[in-house]
Amino acid sequence: MHEMSIAQSILQLAVDEMARSGCSRLEKVCITCGALSGVEPESLRFCFDTLLRETPHADARLELTLCPLRLRCTSCGKEFGGEGQDALWMPCPVCGEQFGHMVVQGKELLLNRVIAR
Amino acid sequence: MEIPVVRNVLEANEKMAEHVRRMLSAKGILTLNLISSPGAGKTTLLEKTLCDLSKEFRMAVVEGDLQTDNDARRVAATGAQAVQINTDGGCHLDSNLVLSALDSLNLDAIDILFIENVGNLVCPVEFDCGEDAKVALLSVTEGDDKPEKYPLLFNLAKALVLNKTDLLPYVDFDMARARSSATKLNAGLEIFEVSCRKGDGLQGWYNWLRQMHTAKINAAQNPN
Repeated sequence: MHEMSIAQSILQLAVDEMARSGCSRLEKVCITCGALSGVEPESLRFCFDTLLRETPHADARLELTLCPLRLRCTSCGKEFGGEGQDALWMPCPVCGEQFGHMVVQGKELLLNRVIAR
Repeated sequence: MEIPVVRNVLEANEKMAEHVRRMLSAKGILTLNLISSPGAGKTTLLEKTLCDLSKEFRMAVVEGDLQTDNDARRVAATGAQAVQINTDGGCHLDSNLVLSALDSLNLDAIDILFIENVGNLVCPVEFDCGEDAKVALLSVTEGDDKPEKYPLLFNLAKALVLNKTDLLPYVDFDMARARSSATKLNAGLEIFEVSCRKGDGLQGWYNWLRQMHTAKINAAQNPN
């Protein structure tokens, strides 16, 4: 449900960047979202398209890159995770520790690129 | 034209949250963001806390709900300062809403500020409101698998209050499972088993509030 707020933030950032570069028409925004970012990609896309309707940017597209989860074991320090892992408490593949892993990657929600004219 | 940027999508909220945090810290106010499902007992926990600790701390509450000011009234009945935010459909509070609510409070007369977020285990977790810590609340009627299903809240919270323990004989809630899954997500999580209705187990929660408040005052006096 909070994807609409996120879509508004994305649009605001894109409009800021466009103003700085003297552009007026948005064509595409590229977003990276982590496995733990709490963003449902389809829902974000729906909100983004709805928000842009009846604006000069109605044809702009949202490109989403998913960023897999990577954890660091609190016990042995090994980093693990990657494609397909979305649980925070996978046992460490080296020492088996299940508790309290640090999230190295997977919480991000970043705007990477704006394409505009 | 291609404009390469790397910007945090939630940066506007996070900057505003940092502003709120600095403002409240300058007044030595401990700020806690209370997050749970609807009906887990956030308002009841606050009512108890505000009554029982009224002689020790000056407390205030920012209430977030989609509609009605029922909760602000319940909380204000204890004598604490309270302000209601109606999100009119919005599923979470953000730092901008909290900042505007602070206008209605006398910040010089607050030791602990509670932000009672909109009842929801998902969205409020994503939006920093300028708090010192998030506190998760889970009631035993919701099921012991909630930490597994909604991990981010339990990963980020500093404390977990497990409420409605008086109902344990009537529900299939495995306390050991809930505690162990929450601890797996967050090794440093402080867990309190309470029944707000009966008043059981609240001393542990109150002691934690006292410790957090002392730490906040010490940090305010020695900024580095």
